[in-house]
Order: sequence, then C-alpha cells, then structure tokens
Amino acid sequence: MKAPVLRTQVSAAARRPGRLILTGLAILVASFVVFGTVLVQQITERTARDNLSGTPAATDLVVGDPNQPPPTVAALRQVRAVPGVAEAVGRVMVGVSLGEGYLNLRADPGTGPLATVRLLRGSYPDAPGEIAVSPRTVERLGLSIGAVTSGTGGELSAPSELTVTGLVDTPDDDGYNAYAPDSVLAAWGGLTTVERVDLRVASGESADAVRQRVTAAIPAGLLIRTGEEVREAEANAAAAQVGKLFALVGMFVAIAVVAAALVVTSTFRIVFAQRMRQLALLRAVGAGRGTLVGALIAEGALTGLVAGVVGVVGALAVGHALPVILRASGHSVSSPGLPWAAAVAVVVGAVVLTVLAVLAPALSAARVAPLEALRAASVTAGRRGIGVLRLVFGLLLVTGAALAYAGTFSQLPKPDQQSYDPTRPLLLLVASGASAFFALVALGPLLVRPVLAVVGWPLRQFGPHGRLAVGGIGGTPRRAAAVSVVVALGVTLISGVAIGGASLRVLVDREMALSAPADFEVATDGGTLPAAVVTRAEAARHALARVVPYRRVDVTLTRDGGPVGSSEYGYSTTDLDLLALSTTKDLDVAQGTLADRGPGRIVLGNWAARDTGLRVGDSVALALAGRTVDVRVVAVLPDQGPLNAAIVADRGDLDRLGAPAAYSGLLADAARSGEDGRTAGVRALREAIRGSDGVAVSVLADDRDRVNDLLSTLLWIAVGLVSLTVLIAVVGVGSTTALSVVERVRESGLLRAVGLSRAGLRTMLTAESGLYGVIGATFGLMLGVPYAWLTVQALGINAPLALPVLPLVGLFVALVVLTALAGVLPARRASKVSPVAALGIEG
Amino acid sequence: MKTHAPPQTGQAAVAAVDLVKVYGHGDTEVRALDGVSVGFGRAEFTAIMGPSGSGKSTLMHCLAGLDTATSGRVLLGGTDLTGQSDRTLTRVRRDRIGFVFQSFNLLPQLTAAQNITLPLDLAGRQPDADLLAHLVEVLGLAQRLGHRPSELSGGQQQRVALARALVSRPEVVFADEPTGNLDSRTGAEVLGILRDSVRDLGQTVVMVTHDPIAAAYADRVVLLADGRVAGEIDRPDQDSVTGALRDLAARA
Repeated sequence: MKAPVLRTQVSAAARRPGRLILTGLAILVASFVVFGTVLVQQITERTARDNLSGTPAATDLVVGDPNQPPPTVAALRQVRAVPGVAEAVGRVMVGVSLGEGYLNLRADPGTGPLATVRLLRGSYPDAPGEIAVSPRTVERLGLSIGAVTSGTGGELSAPSELTVTGLVDTPDDDGYNAYAPDSVLAAWGGLTTVERVDLRVASGESADAVRQRVTAAIPAGLLIRTGEEVREAEANAAAAQVGKLFALVGMFVAIAVVAAALVVTSTFRIVFAQRMRQLALLRAVGAGRGTLVGALIAEGALTGLVAGVVGVVGALAVGHALPVILRASGHSVSSPGLPWAAAVAVVVGAVVLTVLAVLAPALSAARVAPLEALRAASVTAGRRGIGVLRLVFGLLLVTGAALAYAGTFSQLPKPDQQSYDPTRPLLLLVASGASAFFALVALGPLLVRPVLAVVGWPLRQFGPHGRLAVGGIGGTPRRAAAVSVVVALGVTLISGVAIGGASLRVLVDREMALSAPADFEVATDGGTLPAAVVTRAEAARHALARVVPYRRVDVTLTRDGGPVGSSEYGYSTTDLDLLALSTTKDLDVAQGTLADRGPGRIVLGNWAARDTGLRVGDSVALALAGRTVDVRVVAVLPDQGPLNAAIVADRGDLDRLGAPAAYSGLLADAARSGEDGRTAGVRALREAIRGSDGVAVSVLADDRDRVNDLLSTLLWIAVGLVSLTVLIAVVGVGSTTALSVVERVRESGLLRAVGLSRAGLRTMLTAESGLYGVIGATFGLMLGVPYAWLTVQALGINAPLALPVLPLVGLFVALVVLTALAGVLPARRASKVSPVAALGIEG
Repeated sequence: MKTHAPPQTGQAAVAAVDLVKVYGHGDTEVRALDGVSVGFGRAEFTAIMGPSGSGKSTLMHCLAGLDTATSGRVLLGGTDLTGQSDRTLTRVRRDRIGFVFQSFNLLPQLTAAQNITLPLDLAGRQPDADLLAHLVEVLGLAQRLGHRPSELSGGQQQRVALARALVSRPEVVFADEPTGNLDSRTGAEVLGILRDSVRDLGQTVVMVTHDPIAAAYADRVVLLADGRVAGEIDRPDQDSVTGALRDLAARA
C-alpha cells in the first residue's frame, strides 16, 4: 500500500507544478533571501577589499606601523636615498587651527602613482606654508586660490602663514581638507616624524633586494611590510566590519525564515484540507495513517527541494547580474563567487524546514476519518475553535509574556539611578516578546473573530461585497489567524523600528538643541567679541537669521554666606536667551519649566544641579567679584546647558553682578536651508569677524547633519531588514488567497450564478486578502507599540516615548494595500471561471 | 403523449428557439443541444427529462443565462439573452432568475437568513418582508434562521435554498435535480413546496430531473434526447413518465 499512496500524492503534486510552487512560495522566497544574503555579503566583502584600501595600489613597501615608534623625517630621507627606490612619500596628518576654523593638513605627493589627490586648478604646493585644498574647503573656509591665512599646527606654538596655491580632487572631502608634499609640510610644521613611509620600487629592481637595502639603511626597529600586506590588512579590517554587519543581518534573516516556516505550515494545511476526501478515500480502501503521513511528508520534502533550488538559482542569477548592471552604470561593485557549499546548505535547509513545517498538518490530515470520503463536500466546514491543549499552552505563553513584561518594567532605571545595565531587562523583554508572539500563534483563531467584528465594521458598510468578504474570513478563523500572525510579526518589527526611531530622533534633537543650538557659533578664546562683529552679523540679514549674542562668565554660588558646590572657579554662566533660538522647541527639562525664566531666576545644567544639590524652587545667590544677586532655580536641564554652560541666568542679573557688557560670542542660524545657505552664512560671519583676533566661526549644523544622517541611515537599514519578514508575510497572504480561491471555486460559481458580477467577485476576494492585512496589522500594532515603548525605556538612554502616528498609520495602510494586491491575481483568476464550470466541480 | 407544438414565445416565461450548443471541435465535437425550440409557460411547473447526455442540464444552463449558446436564441420574458454581455447576464440572473441546486450550494460562512437574502443583498434590494415571513413559515425555517449550513440537515439546507430562489419573486426558478441528494421523504417535501409555489404564488418553475417520481409533481414534462426535444407529456404521472423514458431508451 505504501508505494501507491506515495505515488498518488507525489504524482498529484508533480502534475500541478504551479500548485507545488504556490504551496512552497514562502520557502522559495526565504531561500532566495538567505542565499541572496550570502551573495550580498560576498559582494560587499569583495567590494570592500577592492575599493576601500587607502593605500595606493602602486605602493610596493611600507615602512612603519601604527603600533610602533614612527619613522623620523631623517629616516624618510634615508629611504629616499636607497638605490632602487623610485619614490618614497611620508604619510602624516596635522590638525591645523586657523583663526576662523580648522584644517586637516595631510602629506601627499600630489602627482605620481603614490598620490591620493589630483590637482584640479592652480599649482601643487612646493614651498613651506603653501597648501592645496579641496573644493568644499574653498566654499566653507573661503580659502580660494591665492588666499592667505595663518594657522597653528604640528610643533608650531605661534600661528604661521599658509597660502593656498591649488585646488585638488580628493576621495573624502569634509570641507576642511588641505594637502602638501611631506617635505613642505614637515618644514612648515617643524615635524620630526611621519606616520609611515610608502615607497615604490624602480622598475627592474626586485622588491626583496630593495627591502633588504632599506632595512640596512634605516634605524632598527622599523617594521617593513609589502604594500600588498598593508592593503590586505586594510581590506581585512574593512571585511571584518562587513562580517559584523552581516551577523546582525543574519538575525533578521532568521526571523524571516521563521515567518516562512509559519506561512508554509499554513499553506500545507489548506492544501491537505482540500484533499480531505481523497485522503479519506485512501484511508477507506485501507491505507494506514503512517503511510499517509509518510506520503504527505514526502510531498513536503519535494516542495522544499523545488522551492529551495528555484530560490537559490534565482538568487544566484540576480546576484551575478546586479553587479554587472551596476558596473555598467559606473559603480564599482565586485561580483560574488559561486559558494556551492552555501547553496547546498540552503537547499538542504529548505527541505528540512519544509518537512518540519509539514509535520503538524500531515499528522492532522492523516487523522481524517475514512467516513469523510462519503460525506457531502459542501457540508464540511473548517474547524473554528482550537483544542484544549492549544488553549492551555497559549494561556501559559500569555502568562509568561505578561510576567516577563512586568519583570522588565520593575527593572527599568529609576530617574536618579546612576548606573544601569540594560542587558537583563532587554533579555527579559525579548523572552516576553517571543512568548507573546507564540501566544498569538496559538490563540490567534480565537482572536480573529473579535478583531474582525471591529475592523470589519467599515467594510461591512460597503454593502454585500464587504459583508461577504468579512464573512469569508470569519468563516475560516484558523486560516485567517495563521496568515495574519505572520503579517503581525512583520508589522511588530516595523512598528518597533518606527517607534524606536522616533524616540531616538527626539532624544537626538534634545541633545543637539543643547550642543548645537544654532547653525553657527562665533566664539572667542576667553576674550570678548567686538561690538562691531555683532552689528555686522545682525546687518547680514540676507545670509543670517536669528543672531543671538551672549555673555559667559564664571560665577560662584553662595547660600547663607557660604559657597555652594565643589567648583573652585565657579560655574560657567551664560545669559543666552534660550527662547530666541530655533531649537527651543526641542529643549527638554528634567525638572521645572523654562517658561518661568526671568529676572531673579536661573536654569541649571544637570551637572551643576548634582554638584550643588540644588533643586527647582531652591534659592541661592550668584556671586561675582564681591557682588551678589539672589536667584531661584526654576528649571534643571537633563544634560549640560547650552554651549556647555552650567547656569543660564537672566541678562539683568548678570548686569547687576557687574559682569562686563561686552559679548563673549554669538549664535546664528542660516537664513536659507541647504548647503548654499550654510555657505552664505559662514561667509557672512567670516566677513563680520574680519580683523578681530582670537575670534573663530564654527559650523555647529555640520555636526547636527552628521548625527541626523547617521540616524536616518541606521533607521532605513533597520526598516530594510525587517521588510524581509513583511515580504514573506505578503507572499503568505498571496498564496493563502490563491489556494483558498481554488478551494472555494464552487462558492465563487454559486455567487456568480445568483448574480454577483465578475468585478464584484474580484472586489470581494481582493477585500478578503486585504482583510488578512488588516487583522495582521492590528495584531502587529497591538504587540509592537507596547514592546517598542518598553524597549526604549529598557535601553536606559533616557529617551522619551514617541508615538509616530503618521508613519504608523502609513504602515497600516501600506500593509493593507500590499496584502490586497497579493490577492489581485488569484481574484482575477477566480472571476474568470464560468459559473457552470465552477458549479460542476466536485469539491 | 403528443408531438410538441411550436413554442408560444408570446406567453412563455422563458423560451428557447433553435438553440444549438457545441462543445469542442473537430473529432471531439459534441452537439449537446442540436436545435432545441421549447417554451415554458408562466405559472407552470415544467420538468425537463431525458437520459444522461441528452442535453437537459446544458439546456437549463443556457435558459438561465449561466452559459451562452453557440447559436439560436433564448428569450426570457421579452428579453433576448442571446449575445448579451456577462454583466447583463449577471444582472438577469440576480434580478429575474432563481436557482435551486442538487448539492444545495449555500455559502458556509453565512447564516440561513443571510443565505436567503443573498441575491437581494447583491442587488442592493430590501426583501419583501411579508413574502419572506410567509416563506420562512411555509418552509419551517423560523427556528433555523441563525444557523449556518453546516448546522442544518440536507432537507433544511435545500429548504433554505428554495427560500433563496423564491424570495426575490424571480420570473423563473430553475431547479437542477433538487432532490438528488435527499431521501425520498424530504425530497417529496421539497417537490411539494415547489409545486405550491406555482399554485399559491404563481411562480414559474423549470426543473431538470431524471427521477420519474419528481417529474410527476410537474404540470408538464419536456423530454430531451441527443440534444433534441423528443416529446412532452401534459399532466404527467409516474407511469406515463417511466413509459416515455423507456421508449426513449429503446429508440436509442
């Protein structure tokens, strides 16, 4: 009996390869994603190896190592003199502080195979004090060719003149990059050492021989490596970064694979349910349960094999085609190899996963009573409820999840807690989240109908089509639950990322409001800002908005005649008008409120508050050179005050203390947004401070942009990774709808016979598909929001709870649209079947 | 038994004129209907009978707008269904025709009450409350309206299907072997209800069956053989139908 049963099942599967692929579609996509990840890792690693090395390919030997004493300038000259050395260049970087900013001055030959920059205009420096700069540096610092400035760097103790002679193209242009040959740089900065020496061997010379000669010529203890080794090491360092990144990627891929297993379990359940009569017939004519289970599992294995192979081959095709296309469009991307072992592993994994997924459906399908074969097909309705065992198991999971959630809650950091280790609460939280999800898997069928009653309400108002769709889903709650929980998994992850990201964004904005309260700062090194600078800056309305000058003095605090706090020199106090800044809305307070500021009141930074023990409402006296002014604390900031000030005081109070009237600095915003507006702002400020000694402009907005860009990049990467799970979920909805349509072809025929139009049938089936998305997204948000909030709290980074309503609503709508779209094709196919044919089919 | 008269399309609720339906082509061509002309009178209960493959189901599908004929015309009331679009046929089925099937064909996810009003729902019409109440009472479904099909017996399901077919006051109710899945007692009940609907409500009913007992409930029997009308019987009884069928089989 065994062989014939196996043959009927497997040949049925083989006769309909489309159905086979549909059943295993989730596994196919999962195999594609897993193997695709392997290939992308290879592409990234190889691209990193091929492109990221900072050592020019022409470098034959490298003298010096970061972990050892650096080569001296004298050693550089000795190397250069060694016969067979065609070229030797010292690599060194000097930070130069200019009056109006900062420069990274780097040694580079400027020409030849060892150069990393290319001259665009002007001439490359060849005398001490000459430099070449990058295009963005010209914009930012106003250092066009011919400009003369002075700066301090290297061994210099006083500013020395710098002349810009050329404009160069450089791979990394930060807006403060300058270049000069090593000798010019060493002479200007009085350097005695370089970081390392790169050298090129003359053609016809053996690198080994030159290496021996160089070793003999230079002081002992300097390590010499080949350029190849150095590049390899640099590439390996880059690849190691890639490896770490992909460990993280692997975690998300694993979640997607779990989702695929859930989807494929559900699709097999549907397929076997459709075959109930056939299986019952086999049982009736004498096939044993074990035989049926074996045959069904064999079918699962076949599905897994086909899906795995197709997925792997597809990934291989895309993985090899994509770099070629990208290279054709000018990107330098390396092709992956042919990782056969990984390919075989993925296919084997697909088979194993599918067999595991098919176990439960196969066991329950084989339990079919032989009598089923004799029952009228239209009467058999799917089971609605769940077994007692599953109910108990589900409730246990709910309890576990709730306990772990409460446990995490109790371990959250207290407001005044100094040290906090987030590891334990986070682990508890992950355990709670996992239990909650599997509780959802177990109890889903019971939740579908209540959720449907609520979310299906608007659809039911749309007339009979909507009511039929809601009824169709409600009629098979187990199926709806099985596919919805996978959607829920995806939505939970994405909403978690959205909420975490929004919270982090608020946190970053708050910190930036304090550390970079405006686009630009004009500061003095301890001196005073000439009044003319403020006047000129305020006059430059075309480029600058909101010019806010401030004073800064060190003030001591006293109470009852004695000093308060441990600071000997007093606390840095500013009269910066907090509410005049554009970033005020982002400011947060730990205690009190900023609205209470005014004469006789101060705001404390958190460090000053801790150091002095002062709290909101406390009275204290500001003291400066014998005078005192009584003030009250109205707010404490969660971090340092703006511009690192400890105390923000009222302007009049500083006057009463006898603080000098001259300003210490000013903050300003660019009048226009974007790079142009920023450049215009910098120019206007540089114009304003022209001729003032010890006054510099810094672009705070650049830091803000860097942090914001980093945050955005991280969030998009996270969204991309969790989207894998969403993709699997949408595939699950699509295949579930497609299989359900096959099963319900008779029902479709009846509806068409009694007057449902083709379009109506399409609408109904598409709406059903979208309803899976609605239910899943509802589950997902119900899990995602509380868990994301608790995670943000458990991280202990003092981030606020943000609920990004618009992105979450957008996510909900997008999910519903995606799942509805997944049902469009099956719905079209179903609507094309003629009612006569549909009614003629024996279900 | 007499030879059939030309169809009186003027008085007929539904009529076929020279209806031909061909399936497949070439060697595999099957002429399921080969020039059928027949009319079905208003407020009349007609049974279509014939051996397997005689084309009786195909005829019913064409008459009901479920299938389109290869040539010939179908007239429903004053409307020519020939060559109408799927959209029009769908509307005709929804508003002017009722169906009863052998395997009941109720939607498993809807309650009995929802199944009954389904065609009216699709049309966006309110059911006639009096008629609905009357049908529910006559069919004995008052206690079953909230149940789903899986909770009903076969006879109850077919009575729900009858109510669904009748509640929209269709011009014609088509019944395809309505007693095929029922035992003889419940089958008799269903046939009785169909006959009562003709008498009490003036309903036109066309029923396809191969069961002489079922056919005996009809006012008239149209006999089909090889896709052609092979005769008809007025006021049939079980014996006359059985005899006619035996004659048809002998001729083949």
